[in-house]
Amino acid sequence: MGASVNKTTETAFEPLLQFDMEMEDFLSDWHHCDHVSSYLARMISHNRTDPVRHSNFFSSALNELLEVSFRGGTTDGKIGLSIYRQGATERVQLSFPCPPGQARFYREAVSKTRESDAQARYLDAISNDLAPSRESVLLDLAVNYDARLRLDEDAAPAITLIVDLPLEGEGMVS
Amino acid sequence: MIAAGLPQRFKVGFDPNSQIFSLAGTIRPRSIDEIAESIHALREAIDAVRGVLYIDVKRLIQMNNTAFQAFIRVALDACRERSDLRLVIVTSSVVSWTTRMFRHLSTIEPQISVEVYDSMFYPGQDYFEDTSFIPILRAQTKLTWRHERTILPRHGMRPGIAVADICCGIGDFAVLAQKEFQPARIVALDHSKPSLAYARTVAAEFGVTGIEYTYGDASEMLLEDNQFDFVACRHSLQIFNQPELLLKELYRIVKPGGRVYITNEKNSHCLGEPRAQSIQWTYNELARLLSHFEMDVELGPKSRRYLADAGFDDILVESFMVTNLDGDPQDFADIIAGWEKMFAAMAARHGEAPEFIDRFRQGFRDHIFAALHPKGYAGWPIWAASGRKPL
Ligand SMILES: C[S@@+](CC[C@H](N)C(=O)[O-])C[C@H]1O[C@@H](n2cnc3c(N)ncnc32)[C@H](O)[C@@H]1O
Repeated sequence: MGASVNKTTETAFEPLLQFDMEMEDFLSDWHHCDHVSSYLARMISHNRTDPVRHSNFFSSALNELLEVSFRGGTTDGKIGLSIYRQGATERVQLSFPCPPGQARFYREAVSKTRESDAQARYLDAISNDLAPSRESVLLDLAVNYDARLRLDEDAAPAITLIVDLPLEGEGMVS
Repeated sequence: MIAAGLPQRFKVGFDPNSQIFSLAGTIRPRSIDEIAESIHALREAIDAVRGVLYIDVKRLIQMNNTAFQAFIRVALDACRERSDLRLVIVTSSVVSWTTRMFRHLSTIEPQISVEVYDSMFYPGQDYFEDTSFIPILRAQTKLTWRHERTILPRHGMRPGIAVADICCGIGDFAVLAQKEFQPARIVALDHSKPSLAYARTVAAEFGVTGIEYTYGDASEMLLEDNQFDFVACRHSLQIFNQPELLLKELYRIVKPGGRVYITNEKNSHCLGEPRAQSIQWTYNELARLLSHFEMDVELGPKSRRYLADAGFDDILVESFMVTNLDGDPQDFADIIAGWEKMFAAMAARHGEAPEFIDRFRQGFRDHIFAALHPKGYAGWPIWAASGRKPL
């Protein structure tokens, strides 16, 4: 994908909020995932058509992403979260430091979410695995939330997951 | 981790008689170990049933993938071990992502089916969710508001608080309450999509912002515990076949020290002069008719008992009479005209004879006659009650 294409889509997204935290603090308590996702979801949902359901839905997706960064992140640096909106879509941009070599893992996991067999992979994962892998969590977002995922590795060793969630469309929350 | 004294955020339950296993609330464990007990409870429930086990996730507010996968693992393994077992997962139309997550199970495992629970919560509900009901609600609130605006502060309504209006209908009450009392937050919930769509349009047209209209089932709400200072539920307990269930939910979402405010009618006490007898006959019959639809429109004076049984204290009950003298008598007449149409349709559906329906309609017409008569008087009594959730 060309850089200029990214630019135009980016500018059409209106920033809603930004949040960051020292990774060390974030990783000190698992409940940060739940608290941050619930709190931010409430904040950005108040002017959606159905704020209660939007907030519930958004929190659910955001929490999965935060859990990914909790399980895969390292303590050096910050976790950064930005939320944007364009029409019915919210964009979550989540950056966090991770161990060297992990970028490749995320690159593959993200690209699998965009392949035609994403649903089959997801079904395979949930029918056989005892616990979700980070890969199946990303597949869950693509399959159950119609999310579109991308990875940005510009700030290595930190990675940035960019996830577009079309939550208001398709009667999901309407 | 659950702080002492706080209500538990996640509940599992099993009712062996109805073979229903339920998961409710928020569950986002870091590892499976944290939910070992709940997983075990599901396994035991499966062992205890013959045939079908219903897994009710209608009130599941949040569940992360870790919990989801742990629970479905048990379900899938059980199906593989027992060919006699059938699992029916019941999701809610309100929480669309749980429906999307769970419905995959029926693809993976033919012994599992997924049902989306929606509408027909009680007999006759469709009448109240129909668009033809909108003008009736509009006219009713216009007249009751004259009384309620002065009554509400006695029941705990005041500026700056968090308010919910459950079964809000077309949302007029929420708009009026917001204007008059400026709450910090106001959520208005209903299960009628046409009514909510109408409410949102009205709010937008009048530049009213900040009311959080939400689609939901009042008996299984997505709202978390202890959130509101004031929870209203107007003219709605009386149309549910299980008002206790609804009150339990209202109790759950109100903060300790906050109040739940309910209004209800006693339809047989609607009155008018002249033509009192015909009017009286019709409203007696109306109460009887609606009881066939399992609605208790005589509930008003029972409010005190319902609130007490639901665990509220400091209960206040008062009544007021909406009459043709409250403002333009035509407004009163419009309400009754709406009732005549709607309730005649219900009488027909219940299989009443045409002669009955004629006489039944006549009482409403006589009520309108009384309302518009220059020396007439027509009344519709309402009971407003509230109780406090103990601290
Ligand atoms: C008699 S109306 C009262 C409406 C409003 N409170 C008023 O006074 O104008 C009853 C309302 O309850 C709503 N309702 C019915 N079943 C419901 C449910 N399960 N959950 C939420 N609302 C429901 C109907 O859609 C309807 O708007």
